[in-house]
Amino acid sequence: MLETSIPKNSAVLAALLRADFTILWRNRRSLRLVLLLPLIILFSWKGLVDKLGGVFVLSSCITIGLTSIGLMGYTNSIARDRDRGVFQRLRVGPVSAWTIMTSRLLVQVAMILLMTILIFIGGYFVDHIQLSPAGYVAGLLLAMLGGAVYLGMGQAIVGRIKNPDTVNSTTRLVYFVFIMIGMFGEFGMLGEILGKVVVWSPYGVVRRVLASSLAPATWTIENTYALLASAGYAAVFIVLGVKWFKWESK
Amino acid sequence: MNEQSPASASPILDVQHLNVSYGAFQAVREVSFSVYGGEIFGLLGPNGAGKTSTLSAVEGLLKPDTGTITVAGYDTRQKPLHARANMGVQLQATSFQPELTIAEIIRLFASIYGVNLDDAAVKEKLAAIDLEAAAGKKIAELSGGQQQRVSLIISTIHNPQLVLLDEPTTGLDPQSRRQLWERMEHFRNNGHAVLLTTHSMEEAEAVCDRIAIIDHGRIIAIDTPEALIDKHRHDPEVLKAVRKGKVTLEDVFIGLTGTAVRS
Repeated sequence: MLETSIPKNSAVLAALLRADFTILWRNRRSLRLVLLLPLIILFSWKGLVDKLGGVFVLSSCITIGLTSIGLMGYTNSIARDRDRGVFQRLRVGPVSAWTIMTSRLLVQVAMILLMTILIFIGGYFVDHIQLSPAGYVAGLLLAMLGGAVYLGMGQAIVGRIKNPDTVNSTTRLVYFVFIMIGMFGEFGMLGEILGKVVVWSPYGVVRRVLASSLAPATWTIENTYALLASAGYAAVFIVLGVKWFKWESK
Repeated sequence: MNEQSPASASPILDVQHLNVSYGAFQAVREVSFSVYGGEIFGLLGPNGAGKTSTLSAVEGLLKPDTGTITVAGYDTRQKPLHARANMGVQLQATSFQPELTIAEIIRLFASIYGVNLDDAAVKEKLAAIDLEAAAGKKIAELSGGQQQRVSLIISTIHNPQLVLLDEPTTGLDPQSRRQLWERMEHFRNNGHAVLLTTHSMEEAEAVCDRIAIIDHGRIIAIDTPEALIDKHRHDPEVLKAVRKGKVTLEDVFIGLTGTAVRS
């Protein structure tokens, strides 16, 4: 038997990352939409910064951005490529399955970083929201945790539903429900009970954790509970997403 | 059944007692066959007979219930990456990223198979299939025949010992189909083993050195096309299927698998 050489995982991952970032760049229109929406909200809320507080505005915009990336961007791209057979084509090569998904997730992590930094910059220059250096660093780190919640939720949706059109409509619906009920619920416009539900929903806990991370000095035990709830949501969604996920749509 | 190949003594692909099921439905039952270097082996069967399930198990895309599959001596369960590194797969669907250019796709898959290709090498690969000008195009901008040529180049970019082709000529015009046959024969003549699934009896007769007919998940015949015709030319069911006086592989196929249309 001739000795067979297997490409290193690092080389495979580098090739996949190059391709996935190229695809992200070629899909600039959807990239712009995902990044623009939280920025538009940030700029349109400029007049509300004094009333709502800078960290509330920033954390809400970041949460909306995370929801867009996790539910709209990641989930739909996975559903579409699975339906096209792109994953099966990659999997028949000498490729460990985890490299394919890791590459996809790293692209999303880069998106989350970019979106969060853009909101910090927009918040500073347009809305004049200034945070401490620790606030910026903690905000970036906890945006990753929030990203894990929504990417996990997206993974669970694309795991449970195979048809890409149904995945698309489901993520839009969940996105709409999260944003609308989340925002109006937090403003107390949907009643006390729904308001409490929203506070402990994935939207509410992620926004709360983000808000408290942007002002670390104001951290309370309630924020710790929200942090634990966020980690719990992320774990549950990721476990379900991985368990349900099938590489082909048939 | 003729399990021996004149080309080579040790098989490049060896499938033994393969069983695959989807829930309660058993798609593949005790399938065994070998493909040797220097031969084109055809896997024929009606829709739903178990061809794609067998091929998917060989490719590592689905987990068999029982049975062993070795590729170039590597067990596909114990050494899946080694087995896959020794096979080149052309899937039924055109399953490349539509956002990437042809050159980018070739470079991606070359890297995945551990092959370093610079721009000049990519151009050379494309020139070999008369698609040098297509380097900057997307896959959807190519015709069906051009897409198949690109797919075949990518499947064999690492010079694999085993080439798996899943209905590669479906939808191609006669010129493109002939060109693909010539490429298959080129692989065979260079010592590669080629496993081909097809619905075209003409194709099987034209290019396959041996064929296996699979039906209801079981292999019901393995031999050279000529030997299969000779062996079954007097079967009553085959004689009923004859349309132009002379027994063809298609008549044998219909005689063995029946006339009922499969979904």
